[in-house]
Amino acid sequence: MKNISLGFILFFLSINIFAQNNGEIHGDFDLNMQSYIEDATINAVAADEVIRNNSFLNIIFTKNNFSAGLRYESYLNALLDYDDDFKGNGIPYRFATYSIEGLEVTAGNFYEQFGSGLIFRSYEEKGLGIDNAMDGIRLKYKLLKGISLKTFIGKSRTYFTYADGIFRGIDGEIDLNETLELQSKTRYIFGGSFISRYQQRNNPVFELPQNVGLYAGRLNIINGGWNYYGEYAYKINDPVNSIQEDAVNYASGNAFTSSLTFSKKGFGITGEIHRADNMLLLSDRDRIGKAYIMNYIPTLSKPHAYTLLALYPCATQAMGELGVQLDIFYKIKKGSLLGGKYGTKLNLNFSRINGLKGGTSILNDNVNFTPEILSFNEELYYSDINLEVNKKVNKRIRYNFVIANQTYNKDFLEGKTPGEYGVINSTIGVLDLSYKIKKGHTLRMEVQTLIAKQLETASKKEEGDWVMALAEYTISPNWFFTIQDMYNYGNDDESKRLHYININFGFLKGANRFSIGYGKKREGIFCVGGVCKLVPSSNGLNLNITSSF
Amino acid sequence: MKKIIYSLFLLSIISSCEVIEGPYMTGNGGGVDTNSNQYVKNILIEDFTGHLCQNCPDAARELEAIHDLYGSQIIGLALHVGSTFARPYPLSQPKFTYDFRTKWGEELDNFFNISDAGLPKGMINRIDYPGDHRKNKGQWLASVQQELDKEVVFGLNINSSFDGNNSIIDISTDALKDISGDYKLVVCLTENEITNWQKDGVIEDENYIHNHVLRSLITSAWGDDVSLSTNISNGESYTHNYSVNLADLENFNIDYSNNTLFQGNGESGGWNQNNISILAYIYDNSNYEILQVEYASLATN
Repeated sequence: MKNISLGFILFFLSINIFAQNNGEIHGDFDLNMQSYIEDATINAVAADEVIRNNSFLNIIFTKNNFSAGLRYESYLNALLDYDDDFKGNGIPYRFATYSIEGLEVTAGNFYEQFGSGLIFRSYEEKGLGIDNAMDGIRLKYKLLKGISLKTFIGKSRTYFTYADGIFRGIDGEIDLNETLELQSKTRYIFGGSFISRYQQRNNPVFELPQNVGLYAGRLNIINGGWNYYGEYAYKINDPVNSIQEDAVNYASGNAFTSSLTFSKKGFGITGEIHRADNMLLLSDRDRIGKAYIMNYIPTLSKPHAYTLLALYPCATQAMGELGVQLDIFYKIKKGSLLGGKYGTKLNLNFSRINGLKGGTSILNDNVNFTPEILSFNEELYYSDINLEVNKKVNKRIRYNFVIANQTYNKDFLEGKTPGEYGVINSTIGVLDLSYKIKKGHTLRMEVQTLIAKQLETASKKEEGDWVMALAEYTISPNWFFTIQDMYNYGNDDESKRLHYININFGFLKGANRFSIGYGKKREGIFCVGGVCKLVPSSNGLNLNITSSF
Repeated sequence: MKKIIYSLFLLSIISSCEVIEGPYMTGNGGGVDTNSNQYVKNILIEDFTGHLCQNCPDAARELEAIHDLYGSQIIGLALHVGSTFARPYPLSQPKFTYDFRTKWGEELDNFFNISDAGLPKGMINRIDYPGDHRKNKGQWLASVQQELDKEVVFGLNINSSFDGNNSIIDISTDALKDISGDYKLVVCLTENEITNWQKDGVIEDENYIHNHVLRSLITSAWGDDVSLSTNISNGESYTHNYSVNLADLENFNIDYSNNTLFQGNGESGGWNQNNISILAYIYDNSNYEILQVEYASLATN
């Protein structure tokens, strides 16, 4: 890979020289440095290196219908919440693309997603330490009016190398109204996609498929304020490379998601259901870990940004789950009794996710099991009901208030032995108040509380009740200062009733942003869109610099 | 024309899909032919594990399945390591109080950085170091097959005498080709059939049988020189002699658990000498790859 990268740099420099006058170069830079000191009270370990650093620089050159770019990444060594296989420096991402007469050609790295991602998603999420960019060739073609096709062939990135599997994919979408020039008020968009992964067979006992196929169909109907989206996906047999009969599963996988939304000014409602069974696609059947996952089951629970609301987050289970969600948005009109001068926004959200009856589908020489399609009374994984009130009181004061009740199956979602922690129910309240002192000076305060209980007797005690407070002073446009404390006052173990204090200080000017912080992090689960990672506890100083041009 | 070409291309992609119909088990593997050479290539699977690790028994079963397929060419070694999955519960608790960890297991774990990446993990003859040496159980089979194809460079013979407590162990190494490099011999003791607690999926199994558990190293973790010369000629033979006292080794582990290991409780004894085996391997000091491994019972050898 290094030789290829070097070639790209030379290529880049040369186009740069020739194109200085009529092309554009943009980029962005990010540096994340953290020191780690030992803190036995929170089980934080010191790093041998004392400080660790993650950085990257993106450079993209664009001229007319041509663009090329690269990303230099540096992990010296990777922050502790990253997989330690991210190690060293390199240019793992470089591409060139052009389009002409409806055809777009990309060579090198690219990110791609088919539909909602049920059968394929190649993406990066720095917060999770995930980057499964493809490396290969991608073609996009506008076949007819309203009909577009994408195809690609490539291997997917894992850390600084590529996984074993070779992916071939094709996705087509047709906007019926555009193609048939319909005048109908209802818009129909159909899509279909197919993915195939090749990996050499080498099992001496079981016959493994070398080419594993997945396909999906989707439908989007839009009429005025109504919007329906549905997608069904299927995966053929994809057993692991084992010689234990119990471990080799020939069952197919499937998933569907279906949502109906109605919205008009000041009101919106969405109902959604999804189900996945044995629907995990890996870039190498022999491996495990999030770096190898190549598809995505969108999460059904509301993504929470407030710390205590996200303390017990929901991780999507591609191997088997069934869930529903209802989301209602309503804005109380301004001038009314509850609406006040500026109106009041309300958001009620409910989600509930449970396992499949009897578990994931299994097929081998001795067992042939398929779970019921709709069974809502199975082991609960996660549920969340929350109400959010957002209100601007006057020119100086605005607030956001959230109350939630969440149920979290810690044993299942964190892979514990059943009975170790059981299921945790927590009631959470958040008040986020913003006060504008004078022009350019704003004070924002958060107070959060979480009251937890274990719903069944378990062999271990969970952490108990928490309270959190935050104050943030902003002098726009250049400065901000934040202090926050998370306090585990309700821990059953008195020695663990700890304060997690963090202070953060930042300076912004133009395209540059600098921030320095110090504090303690609690060990926990961090998720983005239902994909999660374990964050180890830490104590230390952090420096973050972002910049773009 | 462009559209036709494009459509053909798409069709060819869609046809790449294989649905397998049962029966799924198509062979028994049949093992590897033993040729006329006296020695065959043996393979060491170092299974890094812990009694609190609920996915670890699956890896142990994969090791057993690979052993059943290829027979005595596959030699297992279970190293209980780390403070997350291998730490014992306090003696006041009714279960998981045994401390399977050893000084050498921890040393190897730290050096090869295994438990930090999550257990279970294994090394197959320590190939692909550094970087890809830590292998999930799903990778073991393919790595074993790759190793079985390699040439056998050294032959190992283990001879021992045992009087109930003291043992003299002789390891002889035969070079099977001209070779130059820095090669090390490591000798350790393992124990089979230890019945003790193990988390196994959703079960806490009181009667789990722990096999080929690392008990002690007779050499250091990095071994002794096979030969004093870096040039080894085909047909040369080297002998290493060791004398051990089982009770001393057992007491060493108890002290080490008590005094050094994280949350150690000294519950590391109760060795059954009838189940103790000698395991010897030779590795290449330039890349840590294990070139040969041999295994013999201590008491009945």
